[in-house]
Amino acid sequence: MKDAPLLRLEGVRLTYGHGATAVEALRGVDLALHAQQVTLLLGPSGSGKTSLLQVMGCMLRPTHGEVFLHGRSLAGASLEELTRLRLAHFGFVFQHYNLFPTLKAWENVAIALDLRHWARAKMRGEATRLLAELGIGELGERFPGELSGGQKQRVAIARALAGEPRILLADEPTAALDGKVGREVVRVMQRLAHEQGCALLIVSHDPRVEEFADRVLHLEDGRLDRDRPPAREPPCA
Amino acid sequence: MRLWRGSGDLLHPGTTLLAWRNLSHERTRFIATLVGIAFSVVLMGAQLGLLIGFAQTASTLVEHADADLWVLPLGTSNSDIAGRIPIRRRYEALAVPGVASVDEYMVQFAFWRKPDGGSESVIVTGYSLASGRGGPWAMVEGTRADLQIDDGVIIDRLYQDKLGVHGLGQVVEINNQRVRVVGFTDGIRTFTQSPYIFTTHARAQRLARFSPEETTYLLVKLAKGADIDVVRRDLAARLPWVEVLPSGEFARRTQSYWLITTGAGAALLLAAALGLLVGTVIVGQTLYASTLDRLAEYATLRAMGADRSYLNRVIVKQAALSAVIGYAIGLAVTLAMVAYTRTGNVAMALPPWSLLLLAVLTLLMCLAGALISIRRITRLDPTLVFQ
Repeated sequence: MKDAPLLRLEGVRLTYGHGATAVEALRGVDLALHAQQVTLLLGPSGSGKTSLLQVMGCMLRPTHGEVFLHGRSLAGASLEELTRLRLAHFGFVFQHYNLFPTLKAWENVAIALDLRHWARAKMRGEATRLLAELGIGELGERFPGELSGGQKQRVAIARALAGEPRILLADEPTAALDGKVGREVVRVMQRLAHEQGCALLIVSHDPRVEEFADRVLHLEDGRLDRDRPPAREPPCA
Repeated sequence: MRLWRGSGDLLHPGTTLLAWRNLSHERTRFIATLVGIAFSVVLMGAQLGLLIGFAQTASTLVEHADADLWVLPLGTSNSDIAGRIPIRRRYEALAVPGVASVDEYMVQFAFWRKPDGGSESVIVTGYSLASGRGGPWAMVEGTRADLQIDDGVIIDRLYQDKLGVHGLGQVVEINNQRVRVVGFTDGIRTFTQSPYIFTTHARAQRLARFSPEETTYLLVKLAKGADIDVVRRDLAARLPWVEVLPSGEFARRTQSYWLITTGAGAALLLAAALGLLVGTVIVGQTLYASTLDRLAEYATLRAMGADRSYLNRVIVKQAALSAVIGYAIGLAVTLAMVAYTRTGNVAMALPPWSLLLLAVLTLLMCLAGALISIRRITRLDPTLVFQ
């Protein structure tokens, strides 16, 4: 489990704006994500969680510090190179699912495969397999508008897993779901992360997620101020 | 270790699916786009069809005369309006090596007096019955040989009512001289709206009040194997006060005279350009509105690792699909208009090359409309998905 990290941040700082109006969102973050590890990132609003997620997901370049992917520094990578890296190594799960409303469930998953140049003939089979893996194999023909919140999030997770990325980043995946469905969704993500050897980072306000994490990080004012094992019993909501 | 790889389906069928679904799921907007494109295609097609139709009509005499070279009076700007050349030039032309035959050909404006009163301007066209060169085509009633009847003339059915002619054998007057209608053609239009009246060369000379020693053109047919440029040069050198032109060049000169100097062509081209502009604006506006509505989806794709070309493909395919369907609808309407004008005085003509041109213009129009959307997408920030 403690192999070389898939993703590593060293002294990452991120500043928005310049001069007097500059805002420091991240103030020297050191962090490593390992395969088969579920990391929960907690922090109050404005603590820099989303900025950290964007830097880890190769959407933003840090102002200072370095990001290492599979041990290789991403310093100097162009935006288009970062885009290709996102495609090759990352899967994303968003708070509001961000499914394509005009595509059926299986087509939403297949789009992620299409981005990776999969052959047309193989895409449907793989998309259906992934949906079945998430327990919604029979819903492939439905449009997102015909699915419940939990079902939509499962489709989104299947899409994130398409192409077998090694790093999964989930932004508040349970925020739009009720407690029971939210727990079930995180449980599925945890299982798949362990089975497929992914590093899973979940950004959440939801304390019920902690029971599924292998590690809990606290971000406060742009700094990681705690890195601890999860509590045995989930705290009361 | 490579940090990224690419293989498999480079065509990205997913972009076609997304493009089609984006269009078809916004039915009202899609219909508005298609109506705009179809309207534009009809407008462009109609103007182009009229332009080609006018051009073909303007030079119809030249193109149907079956001559290799035309000998015309110096300064002739088009086939309908010509000065005079002496008939003896025909014999001089026959002496030029490479010339197989030379026929006199008369084209002259005249006044047609209708049987029930009133008059019309017509163009009397006189040709050699012996060679048949320059004679009427598309005969539907009577024959060319009927022109041997005294005072015989052949007119086109399209202008029958205009000239007050009810049937064969009707007697009318041209320049106060009696003529008899002995045949009808169908579909020989005139750009000037002065109908062509076909008759023998000698009768045309009389009707136009030319002396027997004068004509308007000489139609030259080359001997087999003769070099047209050499014969043309020799004819020009030997015949004074005339110009010698190949048929194609004279046809183009006639077309450009009627279409450019009269401004008719410019007006048609302007209207076609307006159609192109209207279509571009409609496609651009609807596509951009659709793109703005779907910015979050495009940002999601960007976050998932789609490069700019992937997003551009979705937009371009939306434009191309709209173009294909809009073109098909517009073309159907335009071809119906072309069919309808076949029986009228003003005919639209859309040969296959013009349909291809129209298709290319439609596609370019839609792609131009897509440019604003592409520009917007190019600047899209993937972090938008977190907002």
